[in-house]
Amino acid sequence: MKDIANLVGMYMKTTAKSWFQYRVDTVLKSLAVFLRESTEIIVIYFTLLKFKELNGWDIYEMLFLYSLIFLTYGIMIIFFTGLRDFGSTVRSGSFDRFLLRPRGELFQIIFVNSDWFAAVGHGSLGVVLFLVSAGRVGISWTPALALYYIFSIAGGVLIQGAVFLFLASLNFFLLETGSLKELLYYNMRRFAGYPISIFHRFIQFLMIYVMPFAFVNYFPAQYFLRKSDINAFPEIFMHITPAVGAVMYLFAYLFWRYSLRFYKSSGN
Amino acid sequence: MICFEKVSKYVLSDVSLYIPKGVCVGLIGPSGAGKTTLIRLACGLLEADNGNVITLGKNPVKHRGHFGSRLSVFMSGVPLLCLDETVKQGFELIKEVYHIPEKNFSKDYSRLADRLGFNGFDSLIVKNLSLGQRMRAELGASLICRPELLLLDEPNIGLDEIGKAVLCELIKECCERGMTVLLTSHDMTEISKACDRLAVLNGGRLLFYGSEEILKSRYVPTDVMTVTLCGSLPDLDDLPLNRYSVEGNTLTLSYNSNYVTAAEIIKLILEQTEISSVDIKKPDLESVCSSLSEHAIIS
Repeated sequence: MKDIANLVGMYMKTTAKSWFQYRVDTVLKSLAVFLRESTEIIVIYFTLLKFKELNGWDIYEMLFLYSLIFLTYGIMIIFFTGLRDFGSTVRSGSFDRFLLRPRGELFQIIFVNSDWFAAVGHGSLGVVLFLVSAGRVGISWTPALALYYIFSIAGGVLIQGAVFLFLASLNFFLLETGSLKELLYYNMRRFAGYPISIFHRFIQFLMIYVMPFAFVNYFPAQYFLRKSDINAFPEIFMHITPAVGAVMYLFAYLFWRYSLRFYKSSGN
Repeated sequence: MICFEKVSKYVLSDVSLYIPKGVCVGLIGPSGAGKTTLIRLACGLLEADNGNVITLGKNPVKHRGHFGSRLSVFMSGVPLLCLDETVKQGFELIKEVYHIPEKNFSKDYSRLADRLGFNGFDSLIVKNLSLGQRMRAELGASLICRPELLLLDEPNIGLDEIGKAVLCELIKECCERGMTVLLTSHDMTEISKACDRLAVLNGGRLLFYGSEEILKSRYVPTDVMTVTLCGSLPDLDDLPLNRYSVEGNTLTLSYNSNYVTAAEIIKLILEQTEISSVDIKKPDLESVCSSLSEHAIIS
């Protein structure tokens, strides 16, 4: 156990060192991620200046909803960068190295690399949005609520990690999965910036049962905000984000183990 | 240490090969002969369609990742050091991953860094190194865990002559300490010095397995002798020569060393005339391999 902690510490230290070796580069790239992601927020901000509210949600409630997306992504990408870039890891032969080493493949994929620019960019945006909105949406924080919030974040991280793990597993069957990830993950994430109650039933179905972003931000946010549109969904949905995350991750892991048997190294 | 039993996979068909402990085997053959496939089978990255592979007494596919520091693999497509870290950091990570004791590590590291010459650039980031520098560091990385079995796929790519010589010495020393080595190369002239046995692959078939001397004498026993004369041309009609040509006062003879020895030829020439110099060329491995391939196609 101590030895594993040592190794994780070492991996973290080396990746952070190599990502942060050029100070200006770090600041600029993290800032670029921050600004790129902010554009969506700015669009929403100006829209709501005009309309005041969206299906009963005012600007700060929308920002609170958004902050969950960025916070979970910022934390998630620290651990799951290796899965995001898994296609190129396989093609470059690094995955063969992971297979030959006396450590779990998944352990190595998770800890060998972290996209710190994305983590800092998304994470800081999430923190900013949270700080701006949390005081203005009428939440009276209690220890229980804080605990619920932490568990929801963890659940959101696991849900997105499970999707990345599932998509990475598909690399064993398909040569190129980048566009699938674009379609299934990044495009769906754009929907998640809005309360899902504004969408058509089909989109709602996708957001709850196919790519469950609704559990990453909408349902946890509703637990705090209790907007009236929650009545369209079962009440239990507000409480099960951590469970959804854990179950999805478990299934993604089992699928990963199964797919690994089909792995043929790319050769030279 | 490694046993291939009637193995078939991709181009390989019906290959049987046994490599005992402490022996260095060089796999040679042209591109596409199946050398890399054999290495990948041995380390468990590929599973044989037919036949058995046993590595260190285990099924390498099932036991993959559990050999620990007993098995080390060097392949050009499978980098051991991450591109974004310095050489030193990469070694530190390997030390941690393989549980190498600090005492062994620091001793081996300074020895390898010194011998392979990467102590001059071990604080540089791997992706900024030249190909040759990177190969030196990677070779060091494959040896640092003191493996019982070392698989090297094309280890001399990018190495200069000194690098190749150092690699040969290192391999020899390791074998003397009981390490088993299987290496591949399509250019064996330098690296073959480290090998106790050679295995020749072509078109997925194992054509020969044994020592270099036997290989040479059995398949291309043709030596070439160049004699510079000081007098008249000698009469060599009685000798079983393959070729005989004269250019000025230089006489070039090629002969089968199984039928006639150099001493006999020289003796006969000296009985008739004077000689100023003699040069004898033994066949090199390249010509052995190409002749072996022709043999295989004919038979």
